[in-house]
Amino acid sequence: MKIRKKIKDSQILWHILLCLVVAILLFPIVFAVMNSFKNNTEAINNVMHLLPKEPTLENYIHVFEKLPFVRITLNTFIIAVVVTLLKTITSLFAAYAFVYFDFKGKGILYFLMLSTMFIPFTVTMIPNYLLVSKLGLSDSIIGVMLPQFADVLGIFMLRQSMRGISKSLIEVARLDNIGNVKIMTDIVLPLVRPALISTGIIFFINSWNEYVWPVLILKSKENYTLSLALQMYISSEGGTNFSVAMAVSVMTMLIPLVLYIIFQRYIINTFAMSGIKG
Amino acid sequence: MKKKLKEKEGLLGYLFLIPSLLAFCIFMFYPMLDTIYLSFFDWNLVKPTKTFVGLSNYITLFTDPNTLKILKNTLLYIAILLVFNLIVPYILSFILSVIIKKGQGFYKAVFFLPSVISLVVGSILYTWILNPVSGPVAIIAKHFGITMPIWSQTEGWVIVVLCIITSWKAFGYNFIVILAGVSGVSQDVIEAARLDGVPMIKIFKDMIIPMSSATGIYVLIYTIVQGLQFVYTPIKVITQGGPNYASSNLIYKSYHEAFTLYRTGMSAATSVLTVAIFMVLLILEFKFVEKGVYYEN
Repeated sequence: MKIRKKIKDSQILWHILLCLVVAILLFPIVFAVMNSFKNNTEAINNVMHLLPKEPTLENYIHVFEKLPFVRITLNTFIIAVVVTLLKTITSLFAAYAFVYFDFKGKGILYFLMLSTMFIPFTVTMIPNYLLVSKLGLSDSIIGVMLPQFADVLGIFMLRQSMRGISKSLIEVARLDNIGNVKIMTDIVLPLVRPALISTGIIFFINSWNEYVWPVLILKSKENYTLSLALQMYISSEGGTNFSVAMAVSVMTMLIPLVLYIIFQRYIINTFAMSGIKG
Repeated sequence: MKKKLKEKEGLLGYLFLIPSLLAFCIFMFYPMLDTIYLSFFDWNLVKPTKTFVGLSNYITLFTDPNTLKILKNTLLYIAILLVFNLIVPYILSFILSVIIKKGQGFYKAVFFLPSVISLVVGSILYTWILNPVSGPVAIIAKHFGITMPIWSQTEGWVIVVLCIITSWKAFGYNFIVILAGVSGVSQDVIEAARLDGVPMIKIFKDMIIPMSSATGIYVLIYTIVQGLQFVYTPIKVITQGGPNYASSNLIYKSYHEAFTLYRTGMSAATSVLTVAIFMVLLILEFKFVEKGVYYEN
């Protein structure tokens, strides 16, 4: 009896420690949301008082008035949707080829693609910049999209998931002369659905947050994405428009957070698998 | 008949791969080669002709005293990122999967949450939260008589803060992967050790770490490769590598050389050096992970 109580007590201590980590991780989000509803004077003078005394929407209104904000959000959204759809489809086909077909050079091709995970973006940055400029696509949303298609993450995650499907299932279907497209849509697709969903969501979120590449090629504000618009509100001293910066931050993180909360289970399970070699 | 089927299958395989492969060739493999090529030339992104200079860019890179500083910074970044993104999540995973076992779903979900938020958002939030004069952390520290350093202007501190911002995003993914690895260790073995009264620290050190080391090495390398690239965003938006290169690292140097100083050759040489370092790590991973030495000590 006593021992059990002791174990329980120590468990509570550990939970307190873990909740402290939770608080540290979540604080910045709460901080941003709360301050985005204060006016700038209150936000600066009342940092320690988290809840806004006189909640106001003026920061959000300011953003829409001072920036082509609808356009910027739409740019970000269009880029993310197109990139997600195309990349999910091409990754699905590539993963399928790697799992279910035998062909020359398969091993080396997969190895080459996978090793690009270890290639820093700086290695491709200058040639891609030159290429996109040459195509006349710098300062355009198509230019932002293009290099994002060379991404092995989806192929890797979908391949992992397909390898979990029993081979004999596919072999039986093949012996029955069912076509590859039908095997893919009717057998494989339903079984890899969770991995497919999380791949899509992760693609969307990554593209939504993409900063490194667009900042190199986008020049005009009408073509900006959210991350670039946000960047205008930052300086090492913090700048002056604190509460507006918080409002833009909230709007930038809103969509990824909502998507994550809805698809949380899928995403975490798929990612947990990614460290396990197989 | 069977051979024909095999051939058709192979052809379909290539067909299915073409879209991805095309993207990889155009935006990944060709640029990699082109960067190596550019590292032997003197150029500025716009001049009509490139001048071949042989190894001169590499010689400049290795003799420039700034490079040494940037290499040291890079190591400091790696060291701090590893504390926050390998050691801390390892300990937390141990607590969660061996000691308390309950609430895993909740903690996983919350720990991962910041990972979906843009690093630009993280950068802007933390510049305010950690503002050395008016930020909440500075105000609380003041109550305890601690004055916060003006980190964006202080060597050393600037790297610590940029690492904190990056870790906020990187932590969740690493935690989930490590937790999966640690949870994969046989519960029976751990229970047996606990019943024998083996202290927790020993279980962690002598059982959990060796038995989950395949995952551990993966996360170690991932943190170095990905962490250094992640940290680029806060450097770019907050410090631009300053003060006096104190927050620059190899990745930022590549960017800075190409798009601020317009020295494509130097930028390319820096990138090639970065890849060389990463490749050594990759080979190490294959050596350790694929060989399966991790089951022993």
